[in-house]
Amino acid sequence: MAEDLVLDTAIRDWVLIPLSVVMVLIGILRYFVSKLMRSSQVPDPKIVKEGQVIVRARNLRAAANFIPPKSFLSRRVYFSNEENGLLFVPKGQTQNAQAQMFSDPNMAMDMMKKNLSMIIPQTLTFAWVNFFFSGFVAAKIPFPLTQRFRSMLQNGIDLSTVDVSYVSSRSWYFLNLFGLRGLFSLILGEENATDDTQRMMQMSGFGFDPSKSLGAEKDGLDIVQHEWALPKFEHRAEAVLKKLIR
Amino acid sequence: MVSKTEETQLNRLENQVDNGGGGAWEYLCLVRKLKVRRSEKVLKHGLSILNDPKKRSALGPEEWTLYEQVAIAAMDCQCLDVAKDCIKVLQKKFPESKRVGRLNGMLLEAKGSWAEAEKAYSSLLEDNSLDQIIHKRRIAMAKAQGNISEAIELLNKYLEIFMADHEAWREQAELYVSLQMYKQAAFCYEELILSQPTVPLYHLAYADVLYTLGGLENLQTAKKYYASTIDLTGGKNTRALFGICLCISAIAQVSKGRNKEDKESPELQSLAATALEKDYKQRAANKLGLLTCSLRSLKN
Repeated sequence: MAEDLVLDTAIRDWVLIPLSVVMVLIGILRYFVSKLMRSSQVPDPKIVKEGQVIVRARNLRAAANFIPPKSFLSRRVYFSNEENGLLFVPKGQTQNAQAQMFSDPNMAMDMMKKNLSMIIPQTLTFAWVNFFFSGFVAAKIPFPLTQRFRSMLQNGIDLSTVDVSYVSSRSWYFLNLFGLRGLFSLILGEENATDDTQRMMQMSGFGFDPSKSLGAEKDGLDIVQHEWALPKFEHRAEAVLKKLIR
Repeated sequence: MVSKTEETQLNRLENQVDNGGGGAWEYLCLVRKLKVRRSEKVLKHGLSILNDPKKRSALGPEEWTLYEQVAIAAMDCQCLDVAKDCIKVLQKKFPESKRVGRLNGMLLEAKGSWAEAEKAYSSLLEDNSLDQIIHKRRIAMAKAQGNISEAIELLNKYLEIFMADHEAWREQAELYVSLQMYKQAAFCYEELILSQPTVPLYHLAYADVLYTLGGLENLQTAKKYYASTIDLTGGKNTRALFGICLCISAIAQVSKGRNKEDKESPELQSLAATALEKDYKQRAANKLGLLTCSLRSLKN
């Protein structure tokens, strides 16, 4: 039966608020630690150059109609010709970004450091929550949920008749974990190391793969049909002047 | 480039500070953000803040940025001892810093000891070969020594790596124009138009270069780009209006005898002439007579 449980206000004072405060403090601590531990990266010239090439090729594609056809064609050849075009990556050389990242010792160390700074506080906090704050109902979620969420949200509570809206403190911990991201970007400014979820998403799609983007730009450039927009401008100038003189 | 609203805000702040109305720190921050070059004012107001220990401690960690800004402004105004003092303070606080090393190099440049400055910059580049600002300082040094061809060479090497830096392309175009290498300058302006197609300044400069190169095809292209400038500025750009008139008369001269009438925009010349006359009537009525004479001679 879905009766209304009355939750002691002491729960709010001693569980919900301290948990949030602790998570905020740990987040701030992590931010400063990551700033200290961050080694200054010397940028790789090849990667910088490739990045700039991509920007330039993209500009060429976007504004191709503003320059005369001859210039556009000569630039296209410069970028995509077979021998020494800037965007051309011969098949054998397409680097597997993943393999490179693991073989490069510096990058591997950096990634490990970043992962550590993320995993350890999470694990510790989770264990602390489980140890101290389990076995009781912590909060009531304002909207009704299905029974499937019971195992996830009501972990310490061993009664199966309690409404699924009443959750344990573990779910409050998870709520804070994902929700405090906005708060952190307010306090700590844009770039902070507490973007766990973002980093997790990044790890699944392995980041910057320069050779693929070069190939993509080259294909895009090959497709572009140059249609010189300037003659139209003459007519438009006429119209503008006519309006101006009137 | 600075937008109009930002410029008016800057001038307002400047007036306020000059007349003793406070707000010097906001003015200096705005100058730093917009990267404008107002070295005398920066020097005067920056020094007034730095020499007052109460105001200086009120800045907190921003104090060092102010030292750097005042040092650069002092070098620009040739007050080299002020600059040296500021750099000494910064060096005491940040002994191993590359930024301070860069300021030292700039001080050597300002004193005119080119060889030592070159040595300082090369050693800084060894540590980090991708420091854009140091590359640019070397190019500036070559330009200041009057060695334009070396400046062009260095800038080319810079652009091979950092080819998306449109400020560098602009500088390169101006260097080429100063050496009258117009074809290369046209290439640079094309790059600028590609990266920022809605800025009328680049269209205008490109059209100027094409007009200078001459030849029927270039003149026709130049006319098109003058027209696009007029379109982008709403007809207010006097230089573009003049450019149209000149182009059309030059095309008529070059294609004399050939019956190639320009069917694309027959009214453009008369429209441009009328717009010019209207503009002159409004702004410089005493020169209107000159204008009508020259336009008439162009038409013939």
